[in-house]
Amino acid sequence: MSKLKIENLHVAVGDKEILHGVNLSLEEGETLALLGPNGHGKSTLLAAIMGNPSFTVTEGKILLDDVDVLSLPVDERSKAGLFLAMQNPAEIPGVNSADFLKAAMNARRETPMKLFQFYGALQTAYKEMGIPFEMSNRNLNEGFSGGEKKKNEILQMKLLQPKFAMLDEIDSGLDVDAMQVVAAAIREEQAKGRGFLVISHYARLYEMIHPTRAAVMVNGRIAVEGGPEIISRIDTTGYEWIRDELGIEIEKPVADQPMNKVSIGACATRVGLEGK
Amino acid sequence: MDLVLLHDDIKDLQFEVKEGETFRLNIANFKEFKPCKIEINVRKNAIFEGAFADLSHGSGKATIIVHLDEGACCDWHLASIGANDDRKVFDTSVFHDEPKSKALMSNYGITRDHGRLSFSGVSEIKKYARGSATRQEAKIIIFDPTSVGKAAPILNIDENDVAASHSASCGKLNEDHIFYLLSRGLSLAEARRLLTLGYLKPVVNYFFDESLREQVDKAIEEGV
Repeated sequence: MSKLKIENLHVAVGDKEILHGVNLSLEEGETLALLGPNGHGKSTLLAAIMGNPSFTVTEGKILLDDVDVLSLPVDERSKAGLFLAMQNPAEIPGVNSADFLKAAMNARRETPMKLFQFYGALQTAYKEMGIPFEMSNRNLNEGFSGGEKKKNEILQMKLLQPKFAMLDEIDSGLDVDAMQVVAAAIREEQAKGRGFLVISHYARLYEMIHPTRAAVMVNGRIAVEGGPEIISRIDTTGYEWIRDELGIEIEKPVADQPMNKVSIGACATRVGLEGK
Repeated sequence: MDLVLLHDDIKDLQFEVKEGETFRLNIANFKEFKPCKIEINVRKNAIFEGAFADLSHGSGKATIIVHLDEGACCDWHLASIGANDDRKVFDTSVFHDEPKSKALMSNYGITRDHGRLSFSGVSEIKKYARGSATRQEAKIIIFDPTSVGKAAPILNIDENDVAASHSASCGKLNEDHIFYLLSRGLSLAEARRLLTLGYLKPVVNYFFDESLREQVDKAIEEGV
């Protein structure tokens, strides 16, 4: 059974430290609910585990069994069994969804899939996710609604079969029916023994997928860990009890995302001299 | 009328698209860059559809000038690779001489290995060309620090009651897009290849001849 272990993880964006020593572990077969107020580092943790270059790990370790995840490039982390369903999946112009999925599935195989085998898997996954198969011919996430993007993330998870799936607010933008479909897909993967690390602000999704444990991130650290009863407590009473019972003052949110790089130029004129 | 210009066919040329007719022009170059100045006069309610797949090597300037009469349309798509010390300039201009004319000038390119690529061009809506719509797009991906891209689409508007827009971008591949593809297990090389193909390949859709379309498709794959 595989284990994902995070030890004393410090993560910064530029000069600003967001995570101040996170310790967390997760085994295959477990579903860990990660809660916490906005802007306290939940998404940062998931992005850092996946290797988003906007975030710098300044201290600590991430281990997948005995593999040092931090030494792996992003694609190797994916192939080692990590998956991140992103909060805001990028719209990628010109990249056909089916071509992309084929490349992603073949990336973790010795020999490329046979075409009929690939299309068989693709059709099944689209059907199970309730996404029209024609959408496999569209550009990746381009023009997809919020719900379609989220379902498309879960579709990829089904096809790529990771050991550990990290879901960052997968329920935002989903209508009731789509939520059922997504939850059913998660339960199916849970039954196969996958591990899940799930960020959500709402008890509704958690009620549908029954996390085995819960952790609360406050001020860039894990403030509380425990059983799933924490979820309903937060759902009904919020985060105040953490301050009252544990004496942890909940700081104002720190920015999760760095500012986009800005390019300058006269109106509609761009000159690029990369690296200069 | 449909016309294909390949390699040495590319030179200074003038065309007139007669009233109500459609002219489809496909230009493809896989060999040495050919400087040219191509002028197309599109008469009343006529349509000009142009596509240029420039996968050539070399330097020089290609100028495309389109004049639109009343109700005329122009749809232009260019994909170009500037690499290995190429110095290429594409100047694609459209003049809305009469009312209710429409034009899209769309130029996409990549530059790498000491390549230089420049997209310029004017979309001009003249006085009295009311109800016209025009757009100029110029986008260049720069692959490495040795390469330069310049995108400068210009609008000159001399009339009210028109729609006009232009966009320009020049820079590296989007890091968020690369991260997304890497996070699904694609290698950096494969991610860059897919993103770049996505940038250049749409031009293929505008090639009407099946075998040339396949050639262009293959040349873009090889060029990337």
